[in-house]
Formats: sequence, structure tokens, C-alpha cells
Amino acid sequence: MAVCIAVIAKENYPLYIRSVPVQNELKFHYTVHTSLDVVEEKISAVGKAMADQRELYLGLLYPTEDYKVYPSHMIIVYYTPVCIFFLLIENILLYRHTRYGYVTNSKVKFVIVVDSSNTSLRDNEIRSMFRKLHNSFTDVMCNPFYNPGDTIQSKAFDSMVSAMMVQAS
Amino acid sequence: MSIPDYMQCAEDHQTVLVVVQPVGIVPEDEFFRIYKRITSVAQVSIRDSQRNLYIRYRHHYLPENNEWGDFQTHRKVVGLISVTTCRSAKEWPQTSDRFHCQKDVFGATLYDSRLLVFGLQGEIAEQQRTDVAFYPSYDVCPDVEKRVEDFVESIFIVLETKRLDRATDKSGDKIPLLCVPFEKKDFVGLDTDSRHYKKRCQGRMRKHVGDLCLQAGMLQDALVHYHMAVELLRSVNDFLWLGAALEGLCSASVIFHYPGGTAGKASGREPSLAHGALTANGISADTSSEIGRAKNCLGPEDIIEKYKEAISYYGKYKNAGVIELEACVKAVRVLAIQKRAMEASEFLQNAVYINLGQLSEEEKIQRYSILSELYHLIGFHRKSAFFKRVAAMQCVAPTIPEPGWRACYKLLLETLSGYSLCLDPKDFSKGSHRGWAAVQVRLLHELVYASRRMGNPGLSVRHLSFLLQTMLDLLSDKEKKEVTQSLENYTSKCPGGMEVLTLPDGLKLPPVPLSKLPIVRSVKLLDLPVSLRPHKQKGLLENNMSSKSPFIYSPIIMHTRGEERTKKIEFRWVQGDVCEVQLMVYNPMPFELRVEHMGLLTSGVEFEALPAALSLPAESGLYPVTLVGVPRTAGNINVNGYHTSVFGVTSDCLLDGLPSVRTSGCVVEVIPSLPRLQLSTSLPRSAHPLRPSKEELSSSVSVQLFNGETQQLIITLENIGSEDLETLEVTSKACNTKEKLFGEFLSWDLEEAVSQLPLKPGQSVTLTVNVKVRLDFSGGENLLQDLNDDGISVTGLPISSPLRQVLKPRAETKPLGSDPGTKCHTLEAVMTFKYSGGAGKVEGYYRDLSLGVHVDVEPSVFFTKVSTLPATRTRQCHLLLDVFNSTEHELMVSANNNQDLVLHPSECQRMAIQVAKFDFHTLPQPDQEAVRYTNPKLLEEERLHTQASMISSTLGITWNIISFDGEASVEGVLNQLVLEHLQLAPLQWDVVVNGKPCDCDIIADCKVGDAVPLEVKLTNRSMNAVGPFALTVVPFQDYQNGVQNYDLQDAVTFIGSNTFYIDMVKPTENSVCMGALLFLYTGDFYLNIKFQDDSAGQGKELPPSWFGLPSVHIKALEAPIEAGA
Repeated sequence: MAVCIAVIAKENYPLYIRSVPVQNELKFHYTVHTSLDVVEEKISAVGKAMADQRELYLGLLYPTEDYKVYPSHMIIVYYTPVCIFFLLIENILLYRHTRYGYVTNSKVKFVIVVDSSNTSLRDNEIRSMFRKLHNSFTDVMCNPFYNPGDTIQSKAFDSMVSAMMVQAS
Repeated sequence: MSIPDYMQCAEDHQTVLVVVQPVGIVPEDEFFRIYKRITSVAQVSIRDSQRNLYIRYRHHYLPENNEWGDFQTHRKVVGLISVTTCRSAKEWPQTSDRFHCQKDVFGATLYDSRLLVFGLQGEIAEQQRTDVAFYPSYDVCPDVEKRVEDFVESIFIVLETKRLDRATDKSGDKIPLLCVPFEKKDFVGLDTDSRHYKKRCQGRMRKHVGDLCLQAGMLQDALVHYHMAVELLRSVNDFLWLGAALEGLCSASVIFHYPGGTAGKASGREPSLAHGALTANGISADTSSEIGRAKNCLGPEDIIEKYKEAISYYGKYKNAGVIELEACVKAVRVLAIQKRAMEASEFLQNAVYINLGQLSEEEKIQRYSILSELYHLIGFHRKSAFFKRVAAMQCVAPTIPEPGWRACYKLLLETLSGYSLCLDPKDFSKGSHRGWAAVQVRLLHELVYASRRMGNPGLSVRHLSFLLQTMLDLLSDKEKKEVTQSLENYTSKCPGGMEVLTLPDGLKLPPVPLSKLPIVRSVKLLDLPVSLRPHKQKGLLENNMSSKSPFIYSPIIMHTRGEERTKKIEFRWVQGDVCEVQLMVYNPMPFELRVEHMGLLTSGVEFEALPAALSLPAESGLYPVTLVGVPRTAGNINVNGYHTSVFGVTSDCLLDGLPSVRTSGCVVEVIPSLPRLQLSTSLPRSAHPLRPSKEELSSSVSVQLFNGETQQLIITLENIGSEDLETLEVTSKACNTKEKLFGEFLSWDLEEAVSQLPLKPGQSVTLTVNVKVRLDFSGGENLLQDLNDDGISVTGLPISSPLRQVLKPRAETKPLGSDPGTKCHTLEAVMTFKYSGGAGKVEGYYRDLSLGVHVDVEPSVFFTKVSTLPATRTRQCHLLLDVFNSTEHELMVSANNNQDLVLHPSECQRMAIQVAKFDFHTLPQPDQEAVRYTNPKLLEEERLHTQASMISSTLGITWNIISFDGEASVEGVLNQLVLEHLQLAPLQWDVVVNGKPCDCDIIADCKVGDAVPLEVKLTNRSMNAVGPFALTVVPFQDYQNGVQNYDLQDAVTFIGSNTFYIDMVKPTENSVCMGALLFLYTGDFYLNIKFQDDSAGQGKELPPSWFGLPSVHIKALEAPIEAGA
């Protein structure tokens, strides 16, 4: 079950990011952002080792338990007249999410965050999800009205992503 | 052991731990000064053994941790250096006691100790004691380092002894079991004689010896011992110690492979060591000498494997969390050197989950920040930023009684790079924002809040402005509102400015100009209003043009890219006069935006900006805003940008930093000040502009006049500037040349006005302008036809007819619609007042003030046709004019020497005026120079015009409608034919009878019987010589019934010949013929002077009209005497 799907540009800024629990979207921004370190590391390793092999799938980025540490939300309410600043850090949260990465030949990265409680998901399924995502992304790029580098606002892409999230869950 | 030392690294295993502590009252800064000097002795080479001893100094060490000293000897405090102040000998015993107390704390493990006493002098200080050193003061202690070295050497001796002790203890009867604090109770009651137990003892001791060897600088021995320990401990499944042995092995290998150390710059390693042989793959290059020694050493790969193993063993023990954590940290440092980030991250991952039980908040912060540092070390900047942020949040966790906002803020600032956020707004001006907006916005919010809580609203304002400036496109409408509201809240306490904020740690926060509130799309410098524009005197302009290129036109355009902004603009501004810059702005906010103190930023010229306040509606479209200012000095002014104050934040937005702003140049020349005139007129202002509005006019007046009417226009010019008006010139130009205009349209006399110059500021001068309209309303051709069908011959022969008025009402016969005269005409002209004065005049500048005069001309009277009739006198003729009244009023037409004529509306009447023929030769001849250069056709027109105007002025036809009056001009209707008739013939004949000049209507009296002398005089005014002529005088009698009697031989006789001969008469000469007549009877006689042209030889016929000789009427009377007889 994919909980978050993100497309990241070559220059490592998000082109598209969508997550299922909408109320805590920022969390996934952090999640995907931090996974980029590993993605970059993997890409550079791939570049050195097997430049010819066209393996786009990067595999598991962070193992299951990774999400143990998460500073929860700083709830900022400081615009109210009294200026109360709620800051909650729930000590160590156990988010059981697994992140998978995929990189296209043009260095556009896909990251899928999966709820790791769903054990039924196999590597093959993840791969096929990425493949679908890649195909859909290619379609977006083929749109003559799309400027490479802009955020993706395609409806078709959007519906594909939502289908992927629903279908997998 | 609960507090991990996150700074640990593998090579710390080879160090001995020395604690340096103050005893009694020691000023902190003095202590740290001494501490620093002590720590500089980090490595001591032992004289006789070529070995190095490394020392780790701590000024604070938990005795609890010391208890783990057997487990890993580098955790054991082996040396103590106390620093104390002792003023007098009296205090000495007390101080000494304290030192001993302190020694007892680490007593069990100490090898040696030293006391450094400062301030004590005298007897006691004279003593030579090995464990105490006396110094007179903190400043005078030259041999501290030496002392420390001696101390280290003594430690080494103890260490070496212990090592040898243990190492040779192989055959020993009983090897004691070394154990860690938490193990102690586990071994109670265990069979100490079992083989298993013995092995365990042996293994642990081996490991311990390994540690000692490592500390004593015997790397190879250490490796051997560690290997043996691993073997032994593995066999007895003593996992904790097995892990320690493995870690020892790893440490020794790391020390061998990486003599430069793994801690990076953080630790104070000797620089000489940092240059150790370190190749890319991490193995020392100097292999030849080390092949043998490297046998027991682990390879780089193995080190990691063994670390993993060791950590997994540590993991089995809950109480060994700190050891595990430290091992992880050490492994990560090694991996960072090996540049294996992925594996390092796995170790870190593991470290994250090591549960150390209940950590204090401070420890948490430390832990997160060290994690962040380590992630940074392996190049995971995002992870690093993430943990740093967590640490920052931890600083202000609600459970902390006194939140450390300052620390939080500092840590947050350090995360900026990880989120690729730079607080310099210049980095964002390049294009649309690209980055992790949601995350960055969050971080900025946190920065804002943290800075506010740490009591620095200036910082909050700066961060909020930055947030607004750079993330504006990414904020939702609600967020925009919230952010601006809080910005306003903050600025009420601390207004935001343009100064660079410097944080205590040296970070500089550059100013954030809010160039997006509002967004400026274009900047355009405006020219002064037309009436205030300065112009350069023509003669002075030339040198401006010449410098560029010798060509008037060249297809090659000199492109100077990027210099658009510095391009100089054509027009000029004037010192002291308000000048304007137009900005197209729009408000991107979903609410009304109030911008205050919006002004211009300029350079080059002293400039007084007059700030404006504006209020832009929500999400306005492009909105023009005009900023004004007054240049106070002359020179080139450069408009650099603009200044705003929005939500209490003042910002200076420079155009250089705003590439999206379009501008057509920002440099303008400011010329010295000029006077300023204001114009007011007696006539109402014109509502509609002049039709050919090519040039803009400062003002215009309009008036409605009947054709021929004259109106006075009084113009008042007031000097409203600050300079004296020194020169004033007035010109006018009719801009509608389609209409044929007669006479001067505008006329004035400037003399009086000029005499009042120079005009001081505030004074005014008046000028009276006569507006006179004389237009030709008659349509030309059909008039001529009318003339012909009238049946009046206009050809030359004299017809003596009385003056008559032909009354012919003919208005009925003409349909009004087709009447050419009813149309209303307009006349337009521009009066230009050119004036100058002050400093600007010296530079050759002047100003133009133009006044448009718009006149609607209504037709009054006009002449539908014109013709001439010869008058009775040869020098006169009758001009017949059909006068048409096209107004709706009754009007009266009058002319010179003529009676008034009353015309009803739309009535046409003929009017005959007797006029003397005109001698056009008396008119001034055009200048010879002008003749040469002007078109002959133009010249001809000019001539006609002057002739016509002469006629018109002679006639002086005026009309009068109740209160208006005006003159009617015949100029338009005069055609060539009529003109010819009105012209005096070039040959002028004078007939003198009886001494009296005689003309047709003059009756000359004479007496019968007397000889009447007759004199005919010819004056030649033509260009050529004329003649010779023959003149014959024929007398006749007219019976007034059409019968003329020529048979008068009886009544009249000639004395002499009745024929005169006139010779050739040259131009301007005259010739006189004399004769005489004798009347025999009374009666009325006429003399017809016929002439014959004898100049046939010349072949040129002179026109008959030239021979307009008067017919002479002579009345012969009875001679009174004869009558009496």
C-alpha cells in the first residue's frame, strides 16, 4: 500500500508529491526529502559500478524500522492574538513505512513510500508500480504544453497515482 | 555508565586518560588557559623506546565511567592534574588536603597525579616535590608543558610496568576475572575452577593486555593479543568481552591504516600525523616495511565486518548501550574516511535505535546533534539537517522548564544548508522558486517563532520578510493573510529596515527588500509636461550629435547588450522642477495592500523624493503609480530603484536585482533650473483639442467669430517658477493651411511686455493679441458664370454711366443647401512663447509654452460675385459687388465713401463702389534676394495677395450686426480680370484744358472766341519705351439721345494741327503735346482723342486699356464782353 508517491527533478526538488493521509502531508515531505540522500548515494554508486546496466530500480532506500524517529508536528498557532506556540515532540514515533526508489535515465527520481505493515507487497509489485509511474511520467513529458522542470499538474498522472494508492491498499 | 561520549573515535583506544581539574577557587578563564597549555602535550615520545604515548585530557569525567576502565583501558583515568590557587602558606595544608580528596575519587585507577599551585611563594614553594609544582602566578609558569611531559613519562613507566606484569603473567596461578560493573553480581557463586571460567579469565586478560599494549604504543603486540583474546572469548561465548576484543582489533587496525586519525578536524591531533601515508583506498603506501607487521592487521573491509560483529554482540547487553553507541560512532567515522556512505548510514541507523533508557533532554539534544554531525560527515546533508532540526525542537520541548530558544534558533540556522535554503534573497531573484517549498516554509516559520521567543523581533521580521519575499507564490491565500498579519504585529514592535543583521556567531542576515509587495513590472521615466520641457538652443545642439558617427544614417546599429538600464534617455529634467517616474505595479495579495512612503532611489544628483502612499486593491491588475521627486542639483541622475514601506517593513528595491522589471533606461540629464510660466487668457479654455494634435499644447482657447470680426485676446503670463524670466519670444503658426486666410490672423505687440523683463518670480506680464478672421467664404467658379450672364461688359472702353445700384433680390432663386457660404469654418493656430532665464539660460536652454487658438468662423457677409464698370473718370472705376448676408441677423454693410446698405438675412444685394484705380507700382517690390530663391509661382501669388489686400483696405468694407462689427474682404473674389481693370494703365494720360486738368466728369469752361489751350501729357510708367503715337482730337456733340454729331467744322476750329505726334517715350519719362482750340459757338462739346499707334515696327500690340484717354467735356460759354457787345 503506497502511502506517498513523489517525483523528484534532476536537481532534487519535487515535481510532484502526493500522500494518502492528507492531514500530515508535511511528514511525507520530510520523509521523501531525507531519502534523497540515499538515492543520490545509490545513483553515484551505480554510476561508478555499472554504468551500462540499465537498472533503474534502486530498491529499498531505508529499511522498515527507519521511521522510528520522527519529531511529530510543531503545531504553529502563533498567528492568533495570544500567540501560543504549541510544540509537541512525541518522543519516538514508530512509523512503519518503507521507502523505495527509482531513477530514470534523465535522473528524475521516483520515491514510493509504502506502509510496511503490509507484508503482502513483493519486490515485483513495487517494480511494476514504478514502471507504471514511469510510463505515466513519460506521457506527461510528451505533452507539448508541459515545461520540463515545472510541477506536474496533469490530471491523467494524478488519477494514475491515486489509482495506484487505492489499488495497492 | 550512562553518558556516551559521542566524540569518541577509534584511535582514542591508544590514549591514556588524564583528568585535569581545578581545586578550590580557580578563575575559570585562568583554568582554561592552563588547561589549554596542558592539552597541547597530547603526544609524548618516550626517549629510550621510540614509542609514542598519546594522552586524552578531560576536565570533567564521571567516576561512574571510570568503573568501565577494566573493560577498555582508555576509559580508565590514569592521571590527575589538579590546578589550584594558593595565596599564602596558611592555606597550603587545606589545599593539599583537597588535592588528596580529589585523588581519592579516581584513586583506584590513578597511576600518578600532579598538583599545580599558583600564587604561592616563599618557603613552601622552595620545596622540591615531584607531585607538586609551584608557580608565582598564572602568567609566570614557563615550564608547565615540561612538567606535564615529565608527568606523562612517569605514567608511561607505570603503564609499561603493568603491561609487562600482565603479559608475563601467563603461567600465573590464578588469573583474576576482569569484569564490568553490571556483571559483578552475575559471577557470584560461580565455579572459579571450571575450565570455562579459566578460559574466560584468560580471554579477558588477553584483551586487557592488548589494550595496555595499544596504549603503550606496541601496536603489533596489541594485535596479537587481541587475536588471541578473540579466539579464547569466542570459545566461551563471552559476548560482551568478545565484542570488546573485536573492537580493540578494529581500533588497532584503524590506527595502523589511518595514522591521520578518523575524527577529522574535531580532535586535536598533531598536524604532523595528519600528513601520514594515506592513499585513496586507505592502506598505507609504505608497504615494504610493514608487510610483516600487517599480518595480524585487519583489512579495511574486515574492520567494518568486525565492527558489525562487535556491535551485534554489544547489542545483546542492555547495559552496554553506551559502548554499542560509541562503537557505532567510531565505525561511522572510519566509514566516512573510507567514503562508504551507505554502510555508514546503516551504522547510524542502528545507533539511532540504541535505547539508552531515559535520557535527559540535554542528552537527547546532544545525541541528535551528533547524529546530525555524523550524517553530515558521510555527506547525507538532508538527513543531517533533519536531525539538527529535531535537536533544535528538542531544545524547546515543552518538558523543558526553560526552553533554550537561543540554542534552538542557532541549530535551526544550521539546518538551512541541508534544506538548500540561503537567507540571501538575491539567490531567489533568478527565477521561479525551486525546492522543497513545504519543508522550507515550515523551517522559516520555525525560525521566525524561535527568534521571536528569544526576544529578537528584528530577526523575526527579517525572516518573515524573507518568507514573504521568496515563498510568496507558494503560500495559500490564508497563509498570506496570516503571515502579513503577524509581520505587522512584529513590526509594530520593531520596524524592519535595510540594515544587515549580524548574529552573535557572525552569520550575517542580508536585508530583504520586499520587491514582490507590490510587484513592479516596469519603470518608465516620464518627460516633463510639454509646457515645462526644456529645449536646447539650436546652435548649441550640434556638437552633441557629431561625436557618434560621421554618418547620418547607418544600418549597423551599435548594440550594447545589458546596458538598457544605463542607457541615457533623450529628454531632460530640470533642476527644481518636479519630475515623474511611472511604475506599473500589481498587488499579488488577496487583500488590499497599503504601500507607504513609496519613493525613488536615485544617485548622481541631489534628489528630493516625494514619497507617495498608495493602496492597491486585492489582486489588482497592472496599476500605474507615479512617483515624483525634485532634483536639487544639475547633472546626470540615475534612477536606481524605489523605496517602499509595506507592513512596517521598509525596503529599498534596486532595479539591478530585479531582472523582471522592464525599463527603457534610467539615466536622465538634469539641466540647471529655468523659470516657469503660467498662462491665462481672457477667453474661455477650449474643450476640444486642436485637430492636428501632433504636438501637445499646454493650453488652448476657443472662440466663435463671424467672418471679418476682430477679437482681442489678453494673455497673462505669470512667472510661477523660482528663476527670473529674462527672455521672451512669441511666435505663431497657423496649423490649418487648408483654408485660404487673408490678412494676419493673430497679431500682437510684444514691445510692452518685453520692456517689463526680467520678470521676477510671482510677477506677471500681459500681452494683447488681436484675433482677426478673414476667410473667403465664396465658392469661386459659379460666381464667374453669374457675372457673365449679368450682361455687363467688363471690357475696357469707357462707358459713361452714372453710378447705379442694381437691386436684385436673388436669395429666393438660390437653394440654401448648396450655398457655399453657409458652412462654418475653423481656424487654428498655435502661439508659442519661448522663454528662458536663470542658470538654464546660461547653458543654452529655453522653454516653450504653447497656446492653441481655435476659432470657429461663421460666415457673415460675402461677395457672391464681383465685377467692374468703368467710371466716368479714367482714373476711377466702379466695383460691383454682390453682397450676400449669410447670417440670421439683419446687418448693415458700409464701405469708405459709400452709403450704408442694409441686408436682411439671406439677402443678396449688389453694391457698387467707385474706386480710384490702383497704382500697384507703388507697392514695395519684393527683395531681390528673395526673388532669386523663391518659386516664381509663389512670387506671383504673393504679388496678387498684396494687391488684393491693398484693394481691400482701400475699400474698407465693414459690416455691422447690432453689436458686432467686422470687415468684409473682397480679396477672395478678386480675379485676374477684375484686377486688371482696377489697375492703372502704365501709360498715364493727362489732358489739361485751359490750364485745368480735365477728366470725363469734369466740365471745362471756356469762352467762345478764346483760344483754349489743350495739353496732352503722356507719362510712361511701363517698363518699356512706348511710341511713337499719333493722337487726333475729334470734337463732337452728344445730343444725349444716342446721336453724336461729329460735323463740327463750323463750331470748333483748331489752332494748329488737331493731330499730335508723340515720339518715343522712355520709361518714367513723359512727353507733352500742346495745341489749342477755338470754340466759335457756345455749347457742350466733347473732345474724343483718338490715337494711332505708329510703333508698328516694334511688332508689339499694346493692350487697348493702356490708352484710356479721358474724353474731354468742354462747355463753351458766351464771352461776357462779347455778349455785351
